Amino acid sequence: MKDKEKRKLRGDVEGNARALATGFKYLVEPNRMTLDYPVESMKLAPNYRGFFTVDDKKCIGCSMCEMVCPPEAITMIPRVVSPTGETLPVQEGASQEAGAKPAKKTKRPVVNWGRCIYCYFCFDICPVDAFVRSNVHDLAYYNDADYRPSYEGYLKLPEDPVKKSKKVVPRPDMKRGIKYEPAP
Amino acid sequence: MNLNEKVYDISEAGSIEPEGDRTIALQIGPSHPGSGHMRIKTRMDGDIITKVDADIGFVHRTSEWLSERRQFIKAIPIVERIMLPDTVHANLAYVLALEKILNIEPPPRAQYLRSLAAEINRITSHLYGIGIFGIFLGSSTVYMWAFGDREPFIDLMEMLTGARITNSYIVPGGVRWEMPKGFKEKAESTLQYMENRFNDYNDIWAKNPVVEARTVNVGVVDRNRAISLGVVGPNLRASGVDYDTRKASPYAAYKDIDFEVPKMNHGDSYDRLLIRIEEIKQSIRIIRQILKDMPEGKIIADSIYSQLNPVMKKVFEQEQRVMFPAFFNQMRPAAAESIARVEAGRGEIFFYLKTNGDKYPYRFRWVTPSFRNLAYFSDVAVGYRLADLPAIYGSIDYFPPEADR
Ligand code: SF4
Ligand code: SF4
Repeated sequence: MKDKEKRKLRGDVEGNARALATGFKYLVEPNRMTLDYPVESMKLAPNYRGFFTVDDKKCIGCSMCEMVCPPEAITMIPRVVSPTGETLPVQEGASQEAGAKPAKKTKRPVVNWGRCIYCYFCFDICPVDAFVRSNVHDLAYYNDADYRPSYEGYLKLPEDPVKKSKKVVPRPDMKRGIKYEPAP
Repeated sequence: MNLNEKVYDISEAGSIEPEGDRTIALQIGPSHPGSGHMRIKTRMDGDIITKVDADIGFVHRTSEWLSERRQFIKAIPIVERIMLPDTVHANLAYVLALEKILNIEPPPRAQYLRSLAAEINRITSHLYGIGIFGIFLGSSTVYMWAFGDREPFIDLMEMLTGARITNSYIVPGGVRWEMPKGFKEKAESTLQYMENRFNDYNDIWAKNPVVEARTVNVGVVDRNRAISLGVVGPNLRASGVDYDTRKASPYAAYKDIDFEVPKMNHGDSYDRLLIRIEEIKQSIRIIRQILKDMPEGKIIADSIYSQLNPVMKKVFEQEQRVMFPAFFNQMRPAAAESIARVEAGRGEIFFYLKTNGDKYPYRFRWVTPSFRNLAYFSDVAVGYRLADLPAIYGSIDYFPPEADR
């Protein structure tokens, strides 16, 4: 107990002086690592898990992604395969030409962005690797319905909302921890 | 002060005080005035705390229940969400329990990558704790510093896994992504940066006389009391018990790694502050060893890899990304039970998993470190002044969502 008291008394002047000096050092030379968003924004690595879409031609409609999705963000919607290999919406009550082959029915996934947690389980379970990444992660929508795109809306990869900003990448730095350098 | 005196429910407004009782009720929280999402019901005699009753459950999210009503693989994101500063450890603990039931042994490289992710995560978790303790004592500098210094480590995790916090990195059989190119160099510079920062942390925080004055000899828990209260993690080691699950029952790559378990002697708030800094130093040492000694080889067990279809195998060769076999969707482990223990940032996580051949777990019980440290909190603050409460509460690094689950 006595040792502790002694240590404290000895440290009082010196310790306060050190704390003040360190504080002063950072007052003069701040080590901010703030990203000046949206003037600058991050160029994300290729493996970043951002918004994604599905390759309509690759997908085989197996529903594995729907099954694995933890928050149940994926809905499978019915589609029909067109002669070109792309899928078309199912037309209710569309008249079949006599003799024509009935269109092949299939399903395609649509993601509800309000539920998705970007775990990418759907990516990894897909037997044909049909999902496509984007490097966009900073999107917000104005109303609830926009979080649930139509299939056509979902197929378009979202645009980067801060396209015009200066793109930077984080680099480790001995003084600041992270320094943002212009993206190569 | 008689600790055995009858306790009156102070949650009822205007409750009748016993005659001659000079204590008053004081409620701290639950709307987060530094209490976290919990209510601290205290009784005060003047400004001396005579009783602390932690009222928890404000952020209870039925996580256990949710994970028992989904396929096994879907529990991975759920367990992560109880302890966001510390996701890898929760993920690892669950996967360890599941692997025991499925009888899968991950390859050595995957073990090392798991430990790597876990140690990076431990550093971010401890920095989180240091930052919160800082703001509790009114030091917004340390708060900003610690949260800022988490950033380089979170950036490392982002490089490794593609996500900052909710990594979902560990799956049965191994890990999902190979270490990307340039990771070692980046990690080494980040570690060096953190080591240089310790001097500044000492000056402003750990060796600062103001901090010492507020934390030395405050909230003392001696060795025996800490053991009997069932304290875990850094708080236990601050009281002088060098118990660490990584040593006591090694998992992942820890049996091959040489590291020390730091411990302190006094068990006061100041020791609980220092121990986290010491543990960050050990984690840095572990990460260096892992990066140096990481064995070559696959990152996923052969039993999982052999189930991949040709497209998936090609993806693995090109991108070093492990895709999931259909088995992950349709797992129906035979009836069995298993436990897993993992030393997380705040202490030992204990998971109990019971299966009965169904596609959902029969029971999945979680015991989280914050919950176990709660017992401690009700006991340790008694007898100190009200102004000491933040110094005690902040030092135990309690994370309400982790305790409430
Ligand atoms: S990333 Fe995860 S949450 Fe999002 S759609 Fe895919 S599986 Fe579902
Ligand atoms: S898992 Fe792949 S192939 Fe199957 S439905 Fe989903 S996107 Fe299509």
